[in-house]
Amino acid sequence: MKFRHVWIVFRKEIKDLLRDKKTIISSFLVPMILIPVIFLFVGGGAQKMEKDISENITIALSQNSNTADIRKIVEDGIIKHNTNIKLINVDNPIDAVKQEKVRLVLEFDADYAQKLKNDKPFTVKIYYDKSKNKSDGAVSILTDAINQYNQQIVGQRLTALGLSPDILQPAKVEETNVAEPGKSGNPTLVMILPMMLGLLVTIGGIAAATDIVAGEKERNTFEPLLTTKPSRLSILTGKYLTVTLFSFISVISTGIGYVIGYMINPNSLTMGASDGIGGFSLPLVATILVFITTILMGMTFSAVQIAISTFARSFREAQTYLSFLIFVALIPGYATMFMQPGDVQTYMYAVPILNTISAFKMVLGGNINYLNLVIALATSVIYVILSIMFAASLFKKEKVLFRS
Amino acid sequence: MLKVSNITKSFESITAVNNISFEVRKGEIFGLLGENGAGKTTTLRMLATMLKPTSGTAELCGYDVINEPEKVRSHIGILFGGETGLYDRLTAAENIAYFGELNDMSKSEIKERISQLTRIFDMDEYINKKAGKFSKGMKQKVAFARSIVHNPDIMLFDEPTSGLDVTAILEVHKFILDCRQQNKTIVLSSHIMSEVEKLCDRIGIIHKGVLVASGTIEELKKTYGKDSLEEVFIELVGDRNEI
Repeated sequence: MKFRHVWIVFRKEIKDLLRDKKTIISSFLVPMILIPVIFLFVGGGAQKMEKDISENITIALSQNSNTADIRKIVEDGIIKHNTNIKLINVDNPIDAVKQEKVRLVLEFDADYAQKLKNDKPFTVKIYYDKSKNKSDGAVSILTDAINQYNQQIVGQRLTALGLSPDILQPAKVEETNVAEPGKSGNPTLVMILPMMLGLLVTIGGIAAATDIVAGEKERNTFEPLLTTKPSRLSILTGKYLTVTLFSFISVISTGIGYVIGYMINPNSLTMGASDGIGGFSLPLVATILVFITTILMGMTFSAVQIAISTFARSFREAQTYLSFLIFVALIPGYATMFMQPGDVQTYMYAVPILNTISAFKMVLGGNINYLNLVIALATSVIYVILSIMFAASLFKKEKVLFRS
Repeated sequence: MLKVSNITKSFESITAVNNISFEVRKGEIFGLLGENGAGKTTTLRMLATMLKPTSGTAELCGYDVINEPEKVRSHIGILFGGETGLYDRLTAAENIAYFGELNDMSKSEIKERISQLTRIFDMDEYINKKAGKFSKGMKQKVAFARSIVHNPDIMLFDEPTSGLDVTAILEVHKFILDCRQQNKTIVLSSHIMSEVEKLCDRIGIIHKGVLVASGTIEELKKTYGKDSLEEVFIELVGDRNEI
């Protein structure tokens, strides 16, 4: 293998791909524009949904319960301190829930007044529609409001008996966060970012890999190329480096997209689930290690993409095969999405893709185990070597190269 | 200049080329005549070091195809038939320059050679335009220039007129004869009798991977007692097909 030949192939492939609108769109523009737009929509949608659920809650009373006394209990006892809840009158309360005119309907026991007077419990039925998020979400808000009302009544009853309400609360709970400032991590980011990164690194080079081997075969430029002086290994290396570069450009473009999204709305990155990404402090060594692991994962998948593209008879066949890589990345991504850094098992740091996702999760989580990081790094090096050997062996196989 | 010795290529149970030997002298055009699937392309691919012989070998310009493939490749130019394979997003000059660079030419050599080839093939109007929008004829000229940019001693033509119209065929024929004029050693594979008769100094008839006859056209006619190459071909291939 001669470096000069590798450089010539690499330079030409870069020039060629940069003139390809398809590759530019899929590698640069889509991640840079579409991903933040998706995040903004999803994040904005999630925030809006959360706001809609917690605000402007309209409730009604069932026809049997719609009396002045009950209205008084609801307005002065249950929702008095919840300005977001409003009691309204409707003709047909149950239909009103279904038609989303009100979120909930309350129905008091017919003999509630008697029970209340005699210090007996009475029932408040909540009618809601589980198929509607706003209705479903309002149940817990109203349940909390009723609980507050209960505490208020219990307090009054205990006071009437000459007892302090404190006797109902032998132990009080007080939470104190002992994590160093900035080390608590962000659960939503720990969930989303490693999965997104795993997916992007795995599929980032697909457009380039498809074009520069399978595409070249289809355009009949591959055979003339093989008759030139450079060895197959030089040609392969030049093409491999191109795919690797495009894979990282795709990740960087996505990163830029995230920054753009963050600048527009800081909550977009966490899908509106928490307050942006402020307060992070990543240890330098761990960050470097996880960064190298990510690069190695990109290198592994670039080799896999080149191998698949070499095996394919045509551009379309390569696209079909390579599209399966998305699932390869999605499965471990989703499988570990709800896993917190502490739940990651040691063996996961040795499994392809999972090792990078786990390492990234750990660093974002703030509790670094350097042994696990080294395992992730070492296994990634092994996977790079194996994948390149696999791609090289396919690139040398006449049966694969001249498949028709 | 080119010597093929008992070369064989098998793909699992199929023997595509079976123990073929022939020699081609400097400045000579040797035609490999055979039907589709006879083993012509496989032979040329072995000579271009794209395929490794199962047994036997070949020497091009004194270099062995098995042991010195890079040296062999630096002395050959190849032109394939059918769809001309150019990089559509590169200009004609960039297409040619890429192959020059890959064959270790310096930038100044490439620049000089491209202007020379532009004159020879009359490509002034489009040399700096992207190849994707070229007509078939324009693409063909770029492919000619690309195949000889490094001034190879040996030219391999694999069914070069396959799928071309009459004008394009004549252009290819002219290019091949020009190469001979420049004293290049040429191997031409074809299944078109008239083409081989027109261009080749000597021919080898290949059938089911075996070189069944070789010599000048006159020698073959005389040996088999026939008046035309077509009759010789039918005599050799037809009989064997019946077997």
